[in-house]
Amino acid sequence: MSGTCIACQEGPSAPRVVVAGLASCFGCQLQITNGEAHLMDVLGQIDVRYWQLASSDPMPDEFDVAVIEGAVTTEESERTVRMLRERAATLIAIGACATTAGIPGMAAERFMERPGQVYDRVPDACGAMIAPRPVSAVVDVDFEVRSCPIDTLDFVDVLQRALYGSNKQFATKTMCGDCKRNETSCFYGAQTLCLGLVTTAGCGAKCVNLGRPCNGCRGLSPDANLASAREAVARYGVPVEEFDRALQMFNQVNPALAASE
Amino acid sequence: MTKTAIHVDHIARVEGHGNVHVVVEDGQVRTVEMNVVEPARLFESMVRGRPFHEVSYIASRICGICSASHVVTDLLAIERIFGVEASDRTNALRELLVYGSYLQNHASHLFVFAAPDFLGHRSVFPLAETDPELFEQALALKALGNELCTRVGGRSIHPITAVVGGFTHELAPGEYRELAGKLDAARPFALAAVDLFRSFEVPAIQTAGDMLAMTAPGRYPVCDSRTARFLDAGVEFDADDAACEVEEYAVGHSAALFSRVRATGSPFFTGALARVNASWQHLSQDAKVAAAKAGLRPPERNPYLNNVAQAVELVDALERCAALCRRLAEKDGFAGSSKPAPFEVRAGKAAGLTEAPRGALFHELELDEEGCVVHASIVTPTAQNCANLEADMRLLAEDLVRAGAEPADIQLQVEKLVRAYDPCLSCSVH
Repeated sequence: MSGTCIACQEGPSAPRVVVAGLASCFGCQLQITNGEAHLMDVLGQIDVRYWQLASSDPMPDEFDVAVIEGAVTTEESERTVRMLRERAATLIAIGACATTAGIPGMAAERFMERPGQVYDRVPDACGAMIAPRPVSAVVDVDFEVRSCPIDTLDFVDVLQRALYGSNKQFATKTMCGDCKRNETSCFYGAQTLCLGLVTTAGCGAKCVNLGRPCNGCRGLSPDANLASAREAVARYGVPVEEFDRALQMFNQVNPALAASE
Repeated sequence: MTKTAIHVDHIARVEGHGNVHVVVEDGQVRTVEMNVVEPARLFESMVRGRPFHEVSYIASRICGICSASHVVTDLLAIERIFGVEASDRTNALRELLVYGSYLQNHASHLFVFAAPDFLGHRSVFPLAETDPELFEQALALKALGNELCTRVGGRSIHPITAVVGGFTHELAPGEYRELAGKLDAARPFALAAVDLFRSFEVPAIQTAGDMLAMTAPGRYPVCDSRTARFLDAGVEFDADDAACEVEEYAVGHSAALFSRVRATGSPFFTGALARVNASWQHLSQDAKVAAAKAGLRPPERNPYLNNVAQAVELVDALERCAALCRRLAEKDGFAGSSKPAPFEVRAGKAAGLTEAPRGALFHELELDEEGCVVHASIVTPTAQNCANLEADMRLLAEDLVRAGAEPADIQLQVEKLVRAYDPCLSCSVH
């Protein structure tokens, strides 16, 4: 994590920011625009030099902060990510696709067989496809905003930290604790699969609060104890295979998952 | 020999990545290509083997803007396979969710993506200085769409609460009434948006192909009919027969599959303009008056007027959603409960159909006895529109070349046309 203050280093001019989208649904970029009431407060602090979704201005040669949404799924995207890393002092990966390979990452297993399942003949326009991977598998990432999609205010918080520096560490606890604090009853009591017991906390257990189990969009917590979680799942009468299959949704390419099997 | 090549790399202010390529040689338009270069995420392969309850959750991630439409379309297909009859209340909530994405999509597209072209800006942000009232009201309308999706679906993008058979959470009556008040309050601005977009000058072109929209007797349907119709060919079909009637084909220069009417071989347009043409007489009162005042009456074939059709739909959606909210606030406003209906998993094959903000959306699913996906086919509005967009780009370029337009002007007009289609390239490739 970077602790430097870009806003100070750059003197009086606002930090120059570019926003780039790779393989994704564009939802996290939309979440930035969904700041509506706060949008200009946020954009007022920075100088947005490139944002294909919102503006016709072309990618500049120089900038301070690169915000990347989406998973890396082509050689072209890999080059884009390297270029962004070289030019930017600070790199922020936003959303599940960029931080864990997310839903696109589900296709990582036996990836080269898959284009043939969708196309009779793969169009040239698809480019040189590679198995999906998060941005951090290609270059060093300074800051991450997790979730699918990101929470707008989480993005604002991380952007502030990227611009002005912060000692705040990324929280690694699992989500189960949030449900206990929220006094929400546990899905396992109803023999229903939920990934909260191994997923990184920080969303406030949004889905569980609305009656839906956690699907793990914030990715495996580094604190997760998968072996113990599997025992707990079995103890509550939920098949462990279902738990492992569900984990593939946002963690297919996480080496911790493969290592635990 | 004079040769002019216009190449727009990563066309801005659309969702996803696409390039436009036009070559004019000796006064003849030689090449017109819409290169969709959005990375393929291979959703149809990805959902194979996944259990039914994950499918809508996964497929929602095809698109941030029309996630609600992808979810509802999948649920309709799965419920048809399982023989689940959703309650009237559940159907009303689904309609609200889909309309919420109309408000989000149309407000974002019209003001953030399309309007800067006509106001002489490169993005919407200068509007904050030059016309702060328009800027604020446009963002407020988009925010209202987000709020509707958030209240009904749990968040503005990728709804949480919509599951097979119903919803896992519902609002209190007071919250519905509050929403209805906000929806009513937004209507004057939506009406003004119709006038604004009608006032923008656009080239007079007639679309090259057919039009496709969901239809239903006596209604302007968005998610509660299984019937779609090609308006010119007069071919009407059930969602389950979409694969027979809509022919998808691959072209080398696009990662998105293209589509044509199988019966006639014609490309076609799907989206707000096709819906307005198909069901004009069933628009809400205010929306119909606004459309008539703007001169938008069927058959309207100028694709640029998709912008005006979207503005008309904003008025229509606001009026319809306010009525739905008021009825949902009544104790017995809609029959049945939104609590997920019980069902038994069984094997089968069926398609779901909705009118996503950008047009007809089909999801065909085949499930095995365990309820896991054997086969999936997803046909999105933008994939269907690509061939027609290319054909219209060619017509436009030919008109402009004949009139002696400069390359820069051709480029701007072509870009405007692409944006008028409101393409979602991430959807088109999926």
